[in-house]
Amino acid sequence: MRTSQMSSWTLLQENRQENGMHLLVSLLTGSNAQWRLQAGRCLHELSLSAHTSVAAACLPATTYLLTYLSGQSTKFTELCLYTLGNLCPDSAVQDKLLAQGIIPALASCIENQRHNLAVVEAVGFTLSQLLQAKDAAEKIIPMVLASSLPSHLLSVLTPDPNFGLAPAIECAWCLHYLTCSIVDKRELLAHGALSQCSSLLVSLGDAIAVGNKEEGIELLVCPLLRCVGNLLASCPVGDLNTQVCDVHLVVALCALIQAYLQTRPALARESAWVLNNLTAHSSDFCSALLSFNLVPGLIQLLPFSQGINTLILRVLANVSHKKKFCVQLGQLGLLSALCATLKMTDQEMVTLSLDILFMLVSSTPQLAEEFERQGGLSLLEAIQYNSEGEMRRRATYLLEHHLLLL
Amino acid sequence: METMQQPHVLRLTEGDVLIKSREEDCSRGGTHKLGHSECEEVNPFSFTPQLIHLHRDHELFEDGDIHRHMYLQDLYISEADDKPALSVSEFACHISGCSAHFSTLDEYEHHYNSLHRHVCCSCRRSLPSARLLDIHIQEWHDSLFTILAQSQDMYQCLVEGCGQKFRTSKHRKDHLIRIHTYPPDFRFDKSKKDKGTREMKKQLQKDTAMEVADDVCESEGVCEVMCDVVSDRPEQGESMEMHVSAEEAAPMAKCASTGEHADVSTAAHEPVFTSTKPVNPRSSYRVPTTVCFGHGSVRGFRGRRGRRK
Repeated sequence: MRTSQMSSWTLLQENRQENGMHLLVSLLTGSNAQWRLQAGRCLHELSLSAHTSVAAACLPATTYLLTYLSGQSTKFTELCLYTLGNLCPDSAVQDKLLAQGIIPALASCIENQRHNLAVVEAVGFTLSQLLQAKDAAEKIIPMVLASSLPSHLLSVLTPDPNFGLAPAIECAWCLHYLTCSIVDKRELLAHGALSQCSSLLVSLGDAIAVGNKEEGIELLVCPLLRCVGNLLASCPVGDLNTQVCDVHLVVALCALIQAYLQTRPALARESAWVLNNLTAHSSDFCSALLSFNLVPGLIQLLPFSQGINTLILRVLANVSHKKKFCVQLGQLGLLSALCATLKMTDQEMVTLSLDILFMLVSSTPQLAEEFERQGGLSLLEAIQYNSEGEMRRRATYLLEHHLLLL
Repeated sequence: METMQQPHVLRLTEGDVLIKSREEDCSRGGTHKLGHSECEEVNPFSFTPQLIHLHRDHELFEDGDIHRHMYLQDLYISEADDKPALSVSEFACHISGCSAHFSTLDEYEHHYNSLHRHVCCSCRRSLPSARLLDIHIQEWHDSLFTILAQSQDMYQCLVEGCGQKFRTSKHRKDHLIRIHTYPPDFRFDKSKKDKGTREMKKQLQKDTAMEVADDVCESEGVCEVMCDVVSDRPEQGESMEMHVSAEEAAPMAKCASTGEHADVSTAAHEPVFTSTKPVNPRSSYRVPTTVCFGHGSVRGFRGRRGRRK
């Protein structure tokens, strides 16, 4: 048996691919279970190869790999799934698999094997490969949305404490690829995607805040952030409270920002992005930021670069935009923070700072006085000589209409 | 009908800010002109809270994507050897008629799940899935089906989710090949007429690969028959032959590639068929009660998987 496996491998290596593949397929479909397994392993090895002609060579086997997804030998099913997943990125393989009904097959597989988390993980992986295809939005995603896959993916999201994070990770990435590719997200919202992802983020955020360093947890946090971020971008404001039930999401997001600021700044940025989307049009979440006393922590992040400070400033701008919070923001030291950010070279930071300043002083005259006391006028005067017209105009307007009148 | 908010794309690279404002939103400022404002009197402030939608390839996602890729690469650990399996002395498959032997439970589980599930109790063929088994039973053993098939499209497409039906199995096969790109010789869709010596010839002339397959007999290449009976027989009269009869053995002997099997009575030595053991043709394999395989064997695989993004 070993010799034949080696020889089939050699056959393929020597580019007598058709003969070798024919042999493999015979073994794969034959009446000896062990040889089926060996043939499967051989195909799996092949699928890992970077050689471009391999995928084409494996085409004849794909029909059977797909058929076996509904078989009963779970370890064989797993093997077939990973092999298919590895071959998926090739467009010829993809087209063939789609024609042969891979989406319904994956849906049945995850449904029938939902208690076998290893198989579920494998289905998630294969699906995630499919969903990354260039034209997935037209060719693949409509079928996926029409199937039972989205609800199964969501049900796997909560990690099993015994098995670990891996199945949840795969399913979360699938959901991310789905979410960012489709424009109309109503169906996903109707499945409860936003509420599930956000409540899971809350638990993960809490865990990370107390120092949980489980390996791979960022791999789950990352796609969840993206799902929540993009779903928020499409969620009607009126539905926000029903979709995201837990106001603690703001706490979790701030915890994630703090936790990843040094080690994974990109992840901190993504968390800040989600926070922006959360606070953009919702008074409730802005109010939560204040009531959970998260604003000072955010203010401390403003000196940091790498794009995080602009997002944080946006969040603070979102809060300032709701007039009723301006006094509190003033009390929390936002003005002195602005005095620092107004001196930065980053144009976006300065422009945003001017916008926030405007919102603060125009709603609350006491804040104008406070700003002056902190020496803000000279900063604005300096900006009047800035090369950028937008900034000059803003500075001038502020001085003329709100500050020099005092 | 509710109106969806339009997604915005906000580019966050420095110095390159493109903002689209929402029509419903009203900022305290007033005018929203990008870039230019006409005169000092006009309020130049245009901030409105923005929802930011990020597409899949947005640069903000780059770092996370790299980590995801690395995670998948890291999981491609070299195929670790199987964990030392429970050492038991060699044992045989308990299904009568099957002479497979194993030295690990894993092996047995795989063998059993691959070959002894979804078995048709009429002809004892094993199909790869419950669906294919159901279709097989309907098309091969259901007389009502045969009657109905004379006047309506009864042959289902094998692809789950397709739903189409056809008047004959040939039409279905054409559909499978044309639409679903199935191979013309798909192993799990042979019509009843597709049997006989041709398959047996192929078996015998196969290269070394199949010689050692003495644990199971394969009479058709259609699906495995878990017994030592030539499959032609059951179809003709639902009678279950227990031994390779002389008539059946004769064609075999003719096709034999070597002269070893000329003697019909020693057909038992034929590598493909094992006819030495008695068989109970009436036993049903559909749902064996004695053996139960749970969904265990889950965590043992982590070291054995490998995959590539």
